[in-house]
Amino acid sequence: MNAPVGTTVAVESARDFSFIKPAKRRLTEYEAVTIRQQWETGGFDKGGHFLTPADGRAPWRTESTALAHPDWFAFRDPAQLWQRPYIRMQAEQERAIERLTEDSVEAGAFADTDRAWLDEFIAGHYRVWSFFENGLFRAFAPAQREALSDCLGNALCFQAFDQMRHAQAIVSHLVAAEAVVPGLSDAGAKQRWLEDPAYQPLRRLVEQLVATDDWCEIPIATNLVILPLISEVAIGGLIRRQGPLHQDAISPYIALTADRDRRRNAAWTQALVKMVLDDKVPAATANRQVIEAWLVKWQSRALAAIAGLAPIAARVPAGAVDLTPLLVAARAQQDKLLEAAGLDAALLAELPS
Amino acid sequence: MQHIIETHNRVKEFDWQFSYVDKPQRYPTKYKIPKRTKDPFRHLIRDYCSMEQEKDDRQYGAMSDVMARAGLPGKASQRWMEIMKLVLPVTGFGEYAAVKSTGQLVDTIDNAELRQGYMAQMIDEVRHTNQVAHLTRYFAKHAHDPEGFSNGIALRSKSIQCRAGRAALQGFFAGDPIEGAINLQAVVETAFTNPLFVAMTEIAAANGDQATPTVFLSIQSDESRHMANGYATLAAVVSEPDNLPMLQQDFDRAFWRQHNFFDPLLSAVYDYFQEERSSSYLEKWTEWVDHDWAGAYIRKLEPFGLKIPRWFDEAKERMFWVGHTAAMVVYAAWPMMFWRHDPLNARDFEWFEKKYPGWYNHFGKWWEDFAAMSDPSSGMIPLMAMENLPPLCRVCHMPGVFPRPDIATMRVRMINGKKHGFCSDACEHIFREEPQRYLGSPTLFEEFDGMELGDFIEQNGFLRADGKTLIGQPHLNAKRMWTLKDIRALHYEIKDPLHKLPVQEVL
Repeated sequence: MNAPVGTTVAVESARDFSFIKPAKRRLTEYEAVTIRQQWETGGFDKGGHFLTPADGRAPWRTESTALAHPDWFAFRDPAQLWQRPYIRMQAEQERAIERLTEDSVEAGAFADTDRAWLDEFIAGHYRVWSFFENGLFRAFAPAQREALSDCLGNALCFQAFDQMRHAQAIVSHLVAAEAVVPGLSDAGAKQRWLEDPAYQPLRRLVEQLVATDDWCEIPIATNLVILPLISEVAIGGLIRRQGPLHQDAISPYIALTADRDRRRNAAWTQALVKMVLDDKVPAATANRQVIEAWLVKWQSRALAAIAGLAPIAARVPAGAVDLTPLLVAARAQQDKLLEAAGLDAALLAELPS
Repeated sequence: MQHIIETHNRVKEFDWQFSYVDKPQRYPTKYKIPKRTKDPFRHLIRDYCSMEQEKDDRQYGAMSDVMARAGLPGKASQRWMEIMKLVLPVTGFGEYAAVKSTGQLVDTIDNAELRQGYMAQMIDEVRHTNQVAHLTRYFAKHAHDPEGFSNGIALRSKSIQCRAGRAALQGFFAGDPIEGAINLQAVVETAFTNPLFVAMTEIAAANGDQATPTVFLSIQSDESRHMANGYATLAAVVSEPDNLPMLQQDFDRAFWRQHNFFDPLLSAVYDYFQEERSSSYLEKWTEWVDHDWAGAYIRKLEPFGLKIPRWFDEAKERMFWVGHTAAMVVYAAWPMMFWRHDPLNARDFEWFEKKYPGWYNHFGKWWEDFAAMSDPSSGMIPLMAMENLPPLCRVCHMPGVFPRPDIATMRVRMINGKKHGFCSDACEHIFREEPQRYLGSPTLFEEFDGMELGDFIEQNGFLRADGKTLIGQPHLNAKRMWTLKDIRALHYEIKDPLHKLPVQEVL
């Protein structure tokens, strides 16, 4: 046997992660703390599934979505969010809401707010919306469990948290308002959510979303259809725009923070769509068909939910609101979202409003 | 405070009974969960975000502003820093698996109050995953030897320890969501995060590693809430008498699976990689796991019918030896590892004999031989001195050498014409309960059976940046590092030991 000799030369080694291919020239902090935290059996990682559920199926399954992509780990969140900047952003938003509420209470601003607005639209409509947000949270939490990569799983996690944040902010606002506005109460909100015919298409829609198994369908339906249309009309049109007319500064601000989240979530969903429709992806054509079918399905449901809200819009104290121009504007914005994602907005043009 | 209580009371009412669709049962559970329970922390997002932001600022600020500028990671004990190359990817996957577990719990547990706790934990676990990855990258940038930090994640699936870690930690989400919660919250977070995130930080700090305590203690500050989640979940489960037999069975299994991975690993890390020596892992285990977890936490649930896990006494008995055996395995297979292994010295020998009387008789000679084989000029690696490698357990993927090689409880069974090794009565029992859950992956030795060790190292990325020198080394001497050429000269072949071992029972 030849005598081994060993090396006597100190080896210069890389001083950064070498197992992640950066999307741009340099590895970002987001990429470094996010990518390859999930094992990729049969790809990046050797071995199989070391433990499975009782039915023996794999804990992560390619058939968990109808979309196909050779490398789900190639996704990058345009906002480059990981936990620290995400929490910092939400802490700032929540602090701003809290201070605005405190200052409003100190200034006696609630006394100036239209009382019918508070009763009907804040303790009523906006509080009812918190149940819808809770439904969205319940849809996104299991979607993150099923995601086929960490970068997508984390984006879904953050959106689950976003929706619950909005739901809780509405409730917290009501609790603060009730403390200074005698007789104000949200006591009937849950009943309205469950029984008021105006909200039943909306409730049906969110129950259908929670029952949706495909973890890609959930963000695509929510961020390219449901929120751009329903949130824009039901919250943008009825809370954000109408609040100032009723001397309510807080509710529109809460809605604006949710809009900020909504823009961010739309952006990463567009990135996801572009990734699966890329010409280099073998299943791009099939992916397009799947996504288009989802869009048509959820567009109809979303339009039905908005139509159901007409009686609510008619009760705005400052004057009945016609939802049609709001929906037209929302659809125009939705067209831009779809086109920027590489989708054909004309696909939805024929659907009745 | 009244505002928080009132807000939380209303948040608890967020749920409703679906009437338009039947929600699919994505993660079937055999348990009945009452709709009303207690979330002792009253998780609300506003306070949560503010609290976590403050903790993040403290931790990341300390790392970037003080430690890096002072060059602290480069001054820490090299022996200690080497094993962090293993600890971090294992810990990171545990945190990631916990993210998945909480997603299942939100979907399955029809209880809005518990769901709020799971939601906060879900983001906590993303936080911890990010923190561990950040710490790993920080060490890649600042530690004495970056190899293994910079690429350990790419090597994890070719590592015995990381594969065993995945097998255990996947218990957080690959199964009944309540079983996952028992594994995650009631066993790992309550029994083992104290030894991992608290006790280990004492050793890290004593050995000059200030970054690990900064990160781990920040993680542990979230774990107390998770323990409360676990307690709330357990309390909810035991309040339904029908749940009890299933709960005890899952609890028994969860404890064994997690003990059988964590205790050998932590014990080897703790006892064999500390240079400035203090307490032993056995002492810490006795305090945190035996007294605090089994003696206090679990005993509080005994009036409800939950008993100390079935194999707890056996685990306790094995604790004296499992760390030494695990360390021997890690050191013996050093060319297949992605960190360097500092041989023990006379001071270490003295400490081991003092902390574990009788240690020398069983292990002392082995460590003397190891030191003699550490230079490439020896032409020997410990694997060559072993007549047979131990088979890897079909259930836990740990080597079948525990508690100690001469009294190993390993056994070989023939099932449907295929040989399976089991490391213990408990793992065999667990396999027999649900065999289909453990057949989804070959063991490392099955996967690489027949491969030349040199090929294993070269093809799987266990070489340093020069493409010649091994990442794993049996010493810390940068001037006498083993090369691929040294290994190829040994003509050592990885062989699945199951081929040679006789079958003791056909099932």
